[in-house]
Amino acid sequence: MRLTSYSRVFKLRALVPALIALATLLLPGFSSPIHAQFLHPKIKSKETTIRTVVILPAKVNVVRDSMKGPEGMAAESEELSARVEKTIAEVLSKQKKVTTLSPPTAASGQDKSQPNYNVADFQTKFDDLLPKIMKKRSDVKKGRFTMGDEVLNLNLDKGTDAIIFIRGEGKKLTGGKTAFTLLVGGAPAYLKLMIGVVDARNGDVLIYTDPIFGGDPTTAIDRLRKALEKGLKKLPAA
Amino acid sequence: MAQKKKAPVDATPPPVREEFKFGEVDLEVLEQSNLLDAKLDRDGLVLQDEAANAYVRRIGQALVSNELKLERVLWRFRVLRDPQPNAFALPNGSIYVSTGLIVLVDNESQLAAIIAHELTHVMRRHTYVQNRSNRKKFLTMNIMAAVGAYAPGGIVGAVILAVTTVAPFILMATIYGYSRDLEREADLKGVDMMISAEYAPEEMVNVMKLLAKDIEGENIRLFYNDHPSLNERIKYLSSYLGARADRVTHQMELNRERAAYFKNMESVMRHNIQLSIMAGRFHSAVFDAQRLVDFHPDSENLFWLAEAYRTLGPRSPQLTEKELTNSAKKDAAKKRQKRTLEEEERDLLETPAGKDNWQRHQQKAEELYLRALNAENPAPLVHRGLGMLYEKLGRPNDAASEYEKYIELAPTAIDRERIKRRIETLRRT
Repeated sequence: MRLTSYSRVFKLRALVPALIALATLLLPGFSSPIHAQFLHPKIKSKETTIRTVVILPAKVNVVRDSMKGPEGMAAESEELSARVEKTIAEVLSKQKKVTTLSPPTAASGQDKSQPNYNVADFQTKFDDLLPKIMKKRSDVKKGRFTMGDEVLNLNLDKGTDAIIFIRGEGKKLTGGKTAFTLLVGGAPAYLKLMIGVVDARNGDVLIYTDPIFGGDPTTAIDRLRKALEKGLKKLPAA
Repeated sequence: MAQKKKAPVDATPPPVREEFKFGEVDLEVLEQSNLLDAKLDRDGLVLQDEAANAYVRRIGQALVSNELKLERVLWRFRVLRDPQPNAFALPNGSIYVSTGLIVLVDNESQLAAIIAHELTHVMRRHTYVQNRSNRKKFLTMNIMAAVGAYAPGGIVGAVILAVTTVAPFILMATIYGYSRDLEREADLKGVDMMISAEYAPEEMVNVMKLLAKDIEGENIRLFYNDHPSLNERIKYLSSYLGARADRVTHQMELNRERAAYFKNMESVMRHNIQLSIMAGRFHSAVFDAQRLVDFHPDSENLFWLAEAYRTLGPRSPQLTEKELTNSAKKDAAKKRQKRTLEEEERDLLETPAGKDNWQRHQQKAEELYLRALNAENPAPLVHRGLGMLYEKLGRPNDAASEYEKYIELAPTAIDRERIKRRIETLRRT
């Protein structure tokens, strides 16, 4: 409905105290990480143990939210994606005794495009499945989600138990936007990760976890590590 | 085939925005465009088919003169592995056309129409102009929300995701289009460029009509996305063409030959069918594969049509008018977000129509696979397809035999491990 300028101003004024109160309530909770982890029955019953994994290139996207709207942060997103991959490998190694192997590459003399397409298509398949997982995350516990035996087309090392897919989205606020958020309300800076651990032999989604933390995603290195440690807490050690 | 030569028609000067001066904001956009080029390549989204890329490059170079030098523009023409019909231009001179667009159009002139439109966006510096305008307008639209609303999944989603990550402004232009005036300018200047390069300008109108085809019942369409509306575009283009009354040259007639175009793009079209199947665009896969079989019947194309029917499974071969209404499309999009493809198939198989479709399509697929085996140079993949079909039909021995033939004929196939496992399982049962 189209409002007159007077009624719009009136409505905004009425909303400001409510928004400040809401932001005050939400912000402290948001700064501490929230973790949800969902394990496939095979992991819970220890029928499947994860000892060796391959981490596929992470796709973490951060935007700079300014008063003029969101702007892309391509270089920072790339850097953060690499940092998330590295931190997950470290957390898995130190806390769960899980070894990380290198992702598949084309053998010498082999056409490089096919393995490249394969990884790309498999990443895409995960992107397609992810919204369905997120709609009902608890169904991972029922073993509902699978990426199928096409996973074998990746031709990973024979000893690989699982493949890790990492997606993430975050927001960094400019100074002006931070002040605006504090005054009027709105989501603070954050990073949310969506991590799927998939069985390398049959494509079943074994674990889904989505750690989230508040703060500038490009600089909060310790928070990232802590969020990942808590996010993978339920994964049994190898 | 497009030739680089002096056109015997009235050549119109290229629509360059001479007065454009780069500012800091524009240089940021340029840097992001270069990063996006690298990312699309690295993420395996650019088709590494030299012949296809060269063909698109040749069309681009026919439209844009070699002498034309634009500040901070390096022309690059590439094919994207994306089954949704789409094209976009980056301000650094990179023009992308999707495999989905290549398979949709009928001839080289129609592809040239799309490229000419995109070239105009670059020459007239539309991305920079639009970006400056968005910033002035206090851009309140949340880009991530826009992506969420689009969220088509599959390969299509991968391209959009890559674009969003690096350059949200490109996403705005790609999904929502430029402003009405800029799109109109790109259409009309594109027509001028087509005439100068001896492409029949009517094909710009024809390609608009093709883009209107909604085979998958999609909520949001790329490239033209009703902005301005299709009818409006056809109207102003037709009136512009009528006013110009250009004559049709022999080269123009050659450039609209369907057979020559299909011959050049056959391998890309096959690749696109594979992408469509992976992205769950089964109706498009059947439609495109049928077009290929009509063009070149006794060939590998039969295999791709068989694959399309096998994977179509219990779905109806074409969407009904009711399924193409806006509300039905919205409902379908919501369901796609909730159900996996396997669950969708299972639900459909519980209906009489679904069962009937499934039986008919499996039968059709078998018939086509067997015909493909008798065609010229049958691909080992036909045996894999038959194996998958028989496995679904509950014929484990036949399935295992076909898989074994496949492994024997293609011992280094990338999916050999997967097929070997399937043979083991089938032999055990």
